Amino acid sequence: MIHTPMDKIAEATPEPLARKVRGLSDRAIAWIFVAPSIFLLLAVNIFPLIWTIRLSFTNYKVNRPNREIDFVGLRNYERILTDSDTWMTMQATAHFLIWTIVLQVLIGFALAYLLNMKFKGNDMWTTIIVFPMMLSPAVVGNFWTFLYQPQIGLFNYVVTFFTGGDPSSFSMIGDVQLASWAIVIVDTWMWTPFVMLICLAGLRSIPDSIYEAAECDRASKWRQFWTITIPMALPFLMLAVLFRGIENFKMFDLVVQLTGGGPGNTTTLTSIDLKREAFEKWRTGYSSAYAVTLFVTVFGLASIYVKALNKVKER
Amino acid sequence: MSFSVTEPSVATKWFAGTAVMLYAIITILPLMWIIATGFKSPADSIAYPPKVVFEPTLEGYVNLFTQRTRLNQDDLDALPPPETWYDEMVREQGQVITGRSRYGERFMNSVIIGFGSTFLCMVLGTAAAYAFSRFRVPLKDDLLFFILSTRMMPPIAVAIPIFLMFRQLGLNDTHLGMILLYTAVNLSLSVWLLKGFIDEIPVEYEEAALIDGYTRFQAFYKVVLPQAATGIASTAIFCLIFAWNEYAFAVLLTSGTAQTAPPFIPTIIGVGGKDWPAVAAGATIFLVPVMVFTILLRKHLLRGITFGAVRK
Amino acid sequence: MSSFINGLLRLRRGPWEMVASTLIALGVIMLMQPFALALFTYSFIVTLTGTVTFIIVSHFPE
Repeated sequence: MIHTPMDKIAEATPEPLARKVRGLSDRAIAWIFVAPSIFLLLAVNIFPLIWTIRLSFTNYKVNRPNREIDFVGLRNYERILTDSDTWMTMQATAHFLIWTIVLQVLIGFALAYLLNMKFKGNDMWTTIIVFPMMLSPAVVGNFWTFLYQPQIGLFNYVVTFFTGGDPSSFSMIGDVQLASWAIVIVDTWMWTPFVMLICLAGLRSIPDSIYEAAECDRASKWRQFWTITIPMALPFLMLAVLFRGIENFKMFDLVVQLTGGGPGNTTTLTSIDLKREAFEKWRTGYSSAYAVTLFVTVFGLASIYVKALNKVKER
Repeated sequence: MSFSVTEPSVATKWFAGTAVMLYAIITILPLMWIIATGFKSPADSIAYPPKVVFEPTLEGYVNLFTQRTRLNQDDLDALPPPETWYDEMVREQGQVITGRSRYGERFMNSVIIGFGSTFLCMVLGTAAAYAFSRFRVPLKDDLLFFILSTRMMPPIAVAIPIFLMFRQLGLNDTHLGMILLYTAVNLSLSVWLLKGFIDEIPVEYEEAALIDGYTRFQAFYKVVLPQAATGIASTAIFCLIFAWNEYAFAVLLTSGTAQTAPPFIPTIIGVGGKDWPAVAAGATIFLVPVMVFTILLRKHLLRGITFGAVRK
Repeated sequence: MSSFINGLLRLRRGPWEMVASTLIALGVIMLMQPFALALFTYSFIVTLTGTVTFIIVSHFPE
C-alpha cells in the first residue's frame, strides 16, 4: 500500500553484501524486531476485537456473570439498527461532525493562507495557536464548563457584553438549542490548529514557479487562487478532513466533560451513548454489537484515510 | 531583497500579521484564564463581572493539595496557632487541614504510566520501524495498515473487551495494565513516525558498517540509533503527550490505585461548592509541561500529527 | 470513463478502490442522515461491504 521511492531503496540490501553479513540473517532479524510489536497488538487489540465480535451475538451481561449466555444471532444488530434513539444519536454526531469540519476547514485554511505570507513573528504565532490541540481534552473540556457558566463564565460574559443579553439567564451548556453549538465551539477552538498546520504544509508544497508562470499569463490573483492554490492544496485538505472526521466520529473525552451528553440527549454522541450502554447499563452483548458497527465504520474511513495519506506522500 | 512577483506587498503582510495575531490572542485567552484562575481566591474566581485584575494568592494550590473541613469560629479559636503558612491560609477560610489530597498521587500515576508506556513503546517501535524500513517483511503494507488502524479505533468500543480481559488477568486498575494498553495504542504512532525518520538515514552508512564486519545488530545500534536520535526523541515526546492526555481508557479502567490525573481533575470539589481555583491550579500543573514540550517539538509537529506522512 | 470500466474489468486497483471508497462514504452518509430510518438500518451492511471490498481490492495490481 505504501510505495515511496524510499521504500524501494531501503528494501534491498545488495545481494552480495547480504551474504557477507555476519551474525543472524536479515530475515531472522526482521522477525525478531517486528514480532514483539505485532504480538502486543494481537494481545491488546485483535484478541479483544474477536472477543467483541463473539459477544455481539450473545445476550451476555457483565454484571450478571452467573446467568447463562445465549446466542441470539443477529438480534443485537437488528435492535441497534432499527432503534430510533441510536439513529438520533447518530444525527447528533453528524451535527457535531459536519459543523466542526466546516468551521475548522474555513478558519484553518484562512489562517494557513495568512501564515504562508511569511510575515515577521510567523513562527511564534504558529506555536501559540497550536497550544490548544496538544492539551488534554478532558481537562480543558472540564475548564470550559467554567467559561460557559451563566453570569460568572468568561465566555458568557463576553457574549452578553456584546449582545446585551441577560447574563444570569444566558447559558450555553444548559440550553437545549445551544448545547450542541457549545461543543462545536470548543472542538473548533481546540482543533483548528490541526487543520491549519496541514493546510500550511499543502500551501508550502506549491512551487513558486507555478505562480510566476500564471503571473506571466496575467491570470488574476482570484483566478490563481481557484485554479492553482485550491487544487494543489486539495490532497492535504482531504487528509485533514478525513482525520478530523474519524476523530470526531469517536469523540468522547471533550464532550463528556463539557455536557455529559445533556441536556436531554441533545449532545449524546455515539461514544457517549455506547459508554452508557456498556458501562452503566452493562448490556455487554448489545454494546458489543454497537461497538462492531462503529469499528467497521472507522475501519472503512481509515482505509480511505491511508489512501489519502499515500497521495500526499507522493508529493 | 530579491524581487519576486509572488512575494506579497508590505501592506498585505501587515494585514496578515495582524489578523493572525488577533486569532492567536483570542485562542490563548482560555488557557491564560486557566492559569490566572489558579491564582485567584475562590471569591474572586466567581465574581461578576469576571475579574481581570486581582490580588494573586496561592489558596487554589493549597486547596488542591489538601483535604480540609470547615469549623465554626469557636472551635477554630480553640486550636493551637497555625504552624505553617498554608495552615494559616486555610484557617483564614474558616477551615482546617485534615490531610493530603490525592492529587499528588494521581499526578505521579500519570508520570509513571506516561513514562513507562513511552519507554516500552520506543523500544518496540524503534525495532519494528527499523525492520519495516530496511527489510523485506512479508505482508509489509498490510501490517503497517493494521498497525495504523489500531489507533483509529474508538476507545470506548475497544474498552469493552479490554475491561473483560483485564478483569480476567487482574490488570484492572493497575499501572502495568495501563502501561501495556497505552503502549499498544501508541505503537502505531511510534512505528509510523520512526519508519519515516529511519527512511531518511542513508542506507550507505550501514552498508559501510556491514562491510567493516559489524553484525546487523551492531550496525543497528551503533550506526542507525545515533543518527535517528532526534527522531526518536520527538516521537517519544508525542507518545508521552498522548499517554499524558488520555482520558477514556483511564476513566473506564482505573478508579483507585492507578487513576491518572485527567479523570481526577474534573472530580476536584471544594468544601461547599466547586472550588474552581483548585481545579485551575490542578489543570495548570498538568498542562504547563505539555506546553513546554510543544515549544520543543514545534519543528516536528506536522510529522507527528500526520503519522509521518507530511514531512515539511 | 471507458478507462474506468476497463480498469474494473481487468481488476485494477485504482478504479476498484474508487468503488469501495464510494460504498464506504455512502454507508457513512446513510448512517448519519436525518431523513429515513430505513436508510439507517441498511447503512451498516453497505459500509461493511465497502470495507471488505476495499481490503480485497487493495491487493489487486496497480
